[in-house]
Amino acid sequence: MKPEDCWRPTTAHARALLGGLLLAVAAVLARRPDLLVLATPLVGAAAWAVMLRPRCMPQVNHSIGHGVVREGEATTWHVEVRDPEGRVDDVAAVLEATTWIDRQPVDGQVAVSLRDDGDEPLSMVIRPTRWGSRRVGPALVVASSAWAGFRCAPKGETNARTLVALPQPSRFDASAPPVRTPGLVGVNRSPRQGSGTEFASIRPFQPGDRLRRIHWAQSLRTGTLHVTSTWADHDRHVVLLIDALNDVGESDGIDGRASSLDVSLRAAGAIAEHYISTGDRVALAMTSARGMQRLPPATGYRHLRRMLEVMASIEPATEFTDDGRMPRGLGQGALVVMLSPLLSPTALQRAVTITEHGLTVLVVDCLPADINQSDPDDPYVGIAWRIRLLEREREIRRVGEAGIAVVPWRGPGSLDVVLRDLHRHAGVRMARRR
Amino acid sequence: MNDARFPDSWWLLSRVRGVGLVLRVLMLASTVVAVGCTWLAAGHTVPVVNVVIFGLALACVALPDSHVGLLVVLVVGAEWLVMVHDRATPWSVGAAVSLAVFHASMAAASVAPPAATWTRAMCRRWIRRSLAVMGASVGTWAVVAAIHGHHEASSAVLVAASLVAISTAGLWARDGTLDAGPHHKFAKSSK
Repeated sequence: MKPEDCWRPTTAHARALLGGLLLAVAAVLARRPDLLVLATPLVGAAAWAVMLRPRCMPQVNHSIGHGVVREGEATTWHVEVRDPEGRVDDVAAVLEATTWIDRQPVDGQVAVSLRDDGDEPLSMVIRPTRWGSRRVGPALVVASSAWAGFRCAPKGETNARTLVALPQPSRFDASAPPVRTPGLVGVNRSPRQGSGTEFASIRPFQPGDRLRRIHWAQSLRTGTLHVTSTWADHDRHVVLLIDALNDVGESDGIDGRASSLDVSLRAAGAIAEHYISTGDRVALAMTSARGMQRLPPATGYRHLRRMLEVMASIEPATEFTDDGRMPRGLGQGALVVMLSPLLSPTALQRAVTITEHGLTVLVVDCLPADINQSDPDDPYVGIAWRIRLLEREREIRRVGEAGIAVVPWRGPGSLDVVLRDLHRHAGVRMARRR
Repeated sequence: MNDARFPDSWWLLSRVRGVGLVLRVLMLASTVVAVGCTWLAAGHTVPVVNVVIFGLALACVALPDSHVGLLVVLVVGAEWLVMVHDRATPWSVGAAVSLAVFHASMAAASVAPPAATWTRAMCRRWIRRSLAVMGASVGTWAVVAAIHGHHEASSAVLVAASLVAISTAGLWARDGTLDAGPHHKFAKSSK
């Protein structure tokens, strides 16, 4: 296609041209010069449009300010238009509405005078309202010439773009001490005394104590050798096990109601962020439509970002394929934090299986509290839902009796009581170990 | 005519705001003024025709990027031709200005989607250009008023020359050239 073929006459040009010429012909044939007065503005507009008809195709490119954002955070979608000829008057763009993307302006429509305003105002604020991989666009960009006589929709880079919205971690903090782990390196204070950096006490010298540990001031005061004892350091290996086989409840995005998967992912993000910030190793395992997805344990904020990206790509399973087996590669001495709405007995079975393999499991109940499944046309739906909830309570009670803590997600401090208990009873296995 | 058009519908009409709303009001108001000028110039009117024109203008409000506007122009022109007999009436300036406003508002409404916010520069440019073509109408009327009363004998040669000139101008105005290829024709471009 030739560049000038991009510029097609519009209905406005046809109106000015045909209307003006027909009035002029009528004026000549009927000897009515007054009709020429009526025809003048139309003929003038048509002639003006033709004289300033662009010949070059404008170059259009659109881009997103940030490819990855947290849900609820905004970024900018921008259209760049280059008109080498300088004959483009107005440029308008419409960004197609897509799910879970808020646009500002709300209708996703912007227009500028390219010559006077430039293409800077040809941008729009976009805000993903729910985690996941979100489509932005496609966009329709239309350039018009003088008097809207000719119009062109450049076939440039106006296809849809992808914006990854990471889950926005809930507010979370845990003041509980870490669960005892077998390692002797790391940044956490061990419940045992040993070689470390954090001061524990000053005690009398015992055979085997290092000389550099001698506390000379206390030794001179008391006349007997005293040494400084320290708490041993150890690391912590946390495995976040997300059950994405069900997504129960309505989701209104970051600003409204949360589904069970929303709660799970935001809680997982918060827990991961907390433990990463304290220097612990965090691994991720998810059961979803793609089967079991794993991310090996690591530390650092880059790893946190990677975990959130994997979480954002999650797809709830449409059919039940969960076998309730223990995921591979959980590692020795790991604290397994399982996040699940606990609607499937297999999820609880998995928690029991992991505990039987000697790992500490903490189950976080992510079923939203305000959920209510009912159908006005079918009263049995509500009854069935209540029965299911009763069964679920019974299953959770049984799991609790087996020594697995189940706590509902309530934000900051949700896990403190349970983690403190696990720390106190560390080493005492409640569930029967195989 | 042109496949690069914004979607328009009755639903989108409810999203019109700001300058888009003003343009649609102008479409209706200019049509009413044009009909009023014809009435005042003729001294009488045909209500049925006025109702048809107003109905077409209402359709233009919903579909600014359509050929309904051409119908409005032609019906107004035909009504003027039939009803008005004073060839130098100053009301022709009013009717021409109304047609200019009608055409400009329809054209302007088609460059941006209904809910788009117009920048000041866009408004200024469209007003400036509309005033220019309105000024041209006043100039034409001044020429018409000046030559009014000079009765020349009818000349077939002059009429034929005028028609040839108009046709040539039309051919040029179609694409800005007289030897446009077939792909430039309206019929082809509507593909």
